[in-house]
Amino acid sequence: MALISIPPDITFIVLAVVTIIGSIIALQAKELIYGAVALAVSFIGIAGFFVFLDAPYLAMLQIAIYVGAIVVLILFTIMLVRREVMDELTDTPEHGEGTAGLWLAGLLAVAIAGVAALAGPDLPTQPKPADLRVSDLGPVLAIQYPIPLIILALLMSAALLGALVLAKLER
Amino acid sequence: MVAVTSYIIVSAALLGIGIYGLTVKKNAIRILFAIEIIVNAANLNFAAFTRYMNPPQVSGQVIVFYSIAAAAMEAAVGLALILVAFRINSTIDVRKLSKLKG
Repeated sequence: MALISIPPDITFIVLAVVTIIGSIIALQAKELIYGAVALAVSFIGIAGFFVFLDAPYLAMLQIAIYVGAIVVLILFTIMLVRREVMDELTDTPEHGEGTAGLWLAGLLAVAIAGVAALAGPDLPTQPKPADLRVSDLGPVLAIQYPIPLIILALLMSAALLGALVLAKLER
Repeated sequence: MVAVTSYIIVSAALLGIGIYGLTVKKNAIRILFAIEIIVNAANLNFAAFTRYMNPPQVSGQVIVFYSIAAAAMEAAVGLALILVAFRINSTIDVRKLSKLKG
């Protein structure tokens, strides 16, 4: 972490603001394309958190898969769906749905944050200094948890084939 | 350093934003955005907790690895489904995709 000479608190706050504002804009932006770009910014913020948590491999994966693959896939889908359809689809909530959603989401978030704050004194405030390397991940992946990795590979080929078949589906 | 509570609060905020999008939005693509935000909140929690373990471990990072891969697949299948729904119904408004209601 010697790479970053800025105080960690400030880095954390900046990352938190970027991530949260990014995800709010992703859901609230009028144009879906801008929303997708804001989503990419939010994902990059999460990647920053991963770097901050001594997980550079996860940060790399996050940027490569989320920003590089998922956001690009979403952008392609937005371009494939016709413009008029998007324009007539207003995302503004009606009949008090917005209030209900805000209450639900707010209560849930406040409940979780409240429990975390109440348990705060018992939770660790200072991470133990660790020398975690990317090479530590290999043995855990391949020796400790090999079965999930194999299932993941099968699931991935099934999902890819499924997506291909779905996309080619005739009317 | 930052306490683990701060990570939980950021993650709870992301979860709240995602739940809001999931319940209120009508555009299928935006609902997919909300799902991705929720998955990211969970990933952040895993990475934070595994770092604050005593001694620090990498098991949580492995779970995040699986989760990122699963989310990528989910996005691919979800977007293919949205495209099919668009081709058949020429809309992606989830209120109008009600053919399965019978």
